Amino acid sequence: MKNTLCDHRDRTDESQADLAAAVGVSRQSINAIERGRYDPSLELAFKLAAHYECAIEELFDPELDD
Amino acid sequence: MTESATSTTDWLTKRRRYKRLMYGSLWVGIIGLLVGTYLDQYLAGVVVYWAGFFGMIGVWQFSPVALYDERDTAIEQKASDYTLGVFAFVLVLGGPGGIALEEGGILTLPPAFGGAMWALVAVYAIFGVIYTLLRRRG
Repeated sequence: MKNTLCDHRDRTDESQADLAAAVGVSRQSINAIERGRYDPSLELAFKLAAHYECAIEELFDPELDD
Repeated sequence: MTESATSTTDWLTKRRRYKRLMYGSLWVGIIGLLVGTYLDQYLAGVVVYWAGFFGMIGVWQFSPVALYDERDTAIEQKASDYTLGVFAFVLVLGGPGGIALEEGGILTLPPAFGGAMWALVAVYAIFGVIYTLLRRRG
């Protein structure tokens, strides 16, 4: 799944470790999400959106077929 | 160091510490079992092994920080799926195939073969029961 997590992280000057600690996952999980190798659960997606105070759709693009 | 950086470091340090404690407990148990076996103190070895194992479980369940996250769980699930798949092939192809070869006089199977196949049958029977229960629970 495409996502803008890296852009949001750059804007707030956070490291992957900082973000991981904030939402309660490992740095490797944040890295895997940013690289599109792992799709987060709904719960984690909501946590990430809450952390950046934005809608989930601003963070993740499911790339659904029309 | 900023407050945020400090709390991140604390969290990482705690996680690392409890993971070391968890695996350390398991290793103590394993080494205890091996030493007990070597010294013919089997009961003591088993007691140390169980203590180490349950110590590991205790640290895992009661640590103040999550030691595994959802990605770890997802990877474990995938690995379990693949493992079940591999052994399904072993059971489906190996079991009847081995019996056919033995009955045809082509091969003499070791006595352990039957035990191994029945053990796999038991594994999949338990899997079936648990799968059914989970499915019913929704």
